[in-house]
Amino acid sequence: MTGTDTAVDVPGSAGLGLGLGLRFPHLAEVLETWPEVDWFEIISENFMDSGGYPRHALDRIAERYPIVMHGVSLSIGSTDPLDRDYLARLRRLADATGARWVSDHICWTGAAGINTHDLLPVPFTEESLAHLVRRVRTVQDVLERPLVLENPSTYAAFAGASMPEWEFVARLAEESGCGLLLDVNNVYVSAVNHGFDPERYLRALPAGRVVQIHLAGHTHLGTHVIDTHDRPVAEPVWELYALALRLTGRPTPTLLEWDDRIPPLPELLAELGKARRHLPAPAAVPASHG
Amino acid sequence: MADPPAATATATAQRWFQDAILAPEPPEAAEAAEAADPPGPRAPTGPHAPTGPTGPPRARPVEAVLAPGARLSPGQCLEVYRRGYRLRLLEAMRGLHPALRALLGEELFDDFALEYLDSRPSRSYTLFQLDARFAEFLADHRPDRDRPAAGREAWIDLVIDLARYERAFAEVYDGPGTEGLPVRSAAPPGPGDTVRPAPSLRLLTLSAPVHTYAAAVRRGRPTEDPVPRPVVLALHRRDYVVTATELSGPAHRLLTALVDGRTVRAAAAEADLNEATTRHLLHRWTADGWVLADPLPPTPDLRRQTP
Repeated sequence: MTGTDTAVDVPGSAGLGLGLGLRFPHLAEVLETWPEVDWFEIISENFMDSGGYPRHALDRIAERYPIVMHGVSLSIGSTDPLDRDYLARLRRLADATGARWVSDHICWTGAAGINTHDLLPVPFTEESLAHLVRRVRTVQDVLERPLVLENPSTYAAFAGASMPEWEFVARLAEESGCGLLLDVNNVYVSAVNHGFDPERYLRALPAGRVVQIHLAGHTHLGTHVIDTHDRPVAEPVWELYALALRLTGRPTPTLLEWDDRIPPLPELLAELGKARRHLPAPAAVPASHG
Repeated sequence: MADPPAATATATAQRWFQDAILAPEPPEAAEAAEAADPPGPRAPTGPHAPTGPTGPPRARPVEAVLAPGARLSPGQCLEVYRRGYRLRLLEAMRGLHPALRALLGEELFDDFALEYLDSRPSRSYTLFQLDARFAEFLADHRPDRDRPAAGREAWIDLVIDLARYERAFAEVYDGPGTEGLPVRSAAPPGPGDTVRPAPSLRLLTLSAPVHTYAAAVRRGRPTEDPVPRPVVLALHRRDYVVTATELSGPAHRLLTALVDGRTVRAAAAEADLNEATTRHLLHRWTADGWVLADPLPPTPDLRRQTP
C-alpha cells in the first residue's frame, strides 16, 4: 500500500478490534450469552425496515457492542439515480444504532429500476470512476458521515478498461474521500479469476484509507473461485491478511463474514480468533463490552 | 441536490450486462433458438425486451463487451453471474416459502418461483420484498383462471392461499408491532367508539387451514395436505410471537368492520351480534392486543392513519 495518502477520518475506528457479522440464527444466543467479541457488523437491509424481533435484538445488542453497518443495495456504481428513500432509511438506522461507519461495495446491483441483488462489476474506466466519485460525495453529504467502500469479488471484467482494479479503487478513495473496506478474500478470489498478483493489488492501495478488513471463506471450482462465505478462511487469504496488516501499520478493525451453512456461534468465534495471531498487541486485549 | 448525470458508456454497458444475466437462457442457447426460429416482424415483449440503445443481449457478442478471465471465456464469465443471479433469488424464494415448497415439491416450486422471478424481477432494495407479488402472480397464471369462480380447482386455491399466508406471516413477524408501546389498561371500547387495530393484525380469508400445515412444516413434522374448507384467520404478533387464530363468521365480520373504521355499534349491527357477545369479543381482543385500548375519534383523517 502507498503511504503518502491522507488518512480517512472515521471516528471510533481506531482499536476497534475483531468483529463478527451478526446473522439471524445467532440473535437469540447473542442476547443470552453476550459473547466475547469486540463489535458486530450488520447487513443494513436486513434491519432497515424491521419492526419485529430482529430489530428488537439489534437495539439491545447495540447497547452493549459497537455496531458497523454493511449494505448490499446502495448500488453506488449504477447509472440509475440514487435512491433517496433508501438513503434516508440508511441514515435513520445509522443514527439509531450509533453505527461507527456505513459501508457498501464498489459495484452496481441493477439498472432501469431493477435490483439483481448481486454485486456486479463496474467498468474500470475514467468515465465510470468520475461517476462513482460524484455519487460517493452525494451519499456522504446525505449520510453526514464518511462512506466506506469494499472491493467486491468479481467473475467478469469489462473489455476496454483503462486501468487495473487496484488503481481504480485507490483513485476512488483519494478523489472521493471515502474509506476502504479491504476484503482480502475478495482480492484473492478476483486475483485467481482474472490472473493478477494479489500482493500487487494490496501494495497499490492507499493504506491510510483502509478503515476495515473483511475475512471470509471461498470455494475453488478448478477453473475459477466463488466467494461463498460458507467455510473457514483459506490459508492464502490469511497470508494476504498478514500482509495487509503490515502495510496499514496498525491493528485495522477486522471482521469475519459467514453467510451460508452458518456454524454455531462458538465455531465462528474460534475462526475469528485466528486473526489475533496476526494483530499487534493493542487489539488483542479482552473485549470491552459489558 | 440533483443527482449527477448518468455516464453514457457505463449506462450502455450496465444495461447490456443486466439484460444478459436476467435472461432465462445463456446467450449461446438464445442464439441457437434464434437460428432455429429467426425473429420475425413481431414486436418484442417481456422484461428482457430491448429497452435502451443496447438492444437485447444477443445484439452484441459477449466477446465485444467482456474480457476473458484467467481460465474462463467471456461467455463463461458472464454465465457465472447469470446462474448466480437465478440461484441466489431462488434460494431466497425457497427460504420465504418453506411450506409451499413442501406442498408442491422442490421441482414444481422451483419452476413456479423461477417463472415468477423472470416475469417480475425485483425492484426493491431488500430481499424481504422478493415474494411480495408471488401469490398475485400465481393467481394471474392459474390454468383455470377463465372459469367461473365456482368451477375452479380447489388445489390451485390451496397453493395460492398458502403463498398468501406465508407472505402475511413474514410481514407480521418482522413488521411494526406494539411491543414498544407503554402498557395501558385493557379497557374495551364503548359502543360509540372506533378502535385502532394493532399494526401487526392481519385478517385472511382462505380456502383451507393452510396455517396448520405451515406450522407443521416449520416444526419439521410430516403432515397431510390441507383439506379444503372455508377458513377466516386472524394473524397477530405479541411479544414477538406470531399466532394464527381461526374466527367464526360473525366474529370475522365484526373485526373486519372495526378495522374498516366503523364504530363498535355499527360493526356489531353489520355482524348481527348482540351487545353481550360484542362486549365479550372486544374484551378478549383488547386483552390479547388485537385492538388497542385507545380509541380514536371517528374522523376520516385519523382513520387513514390506522394501519
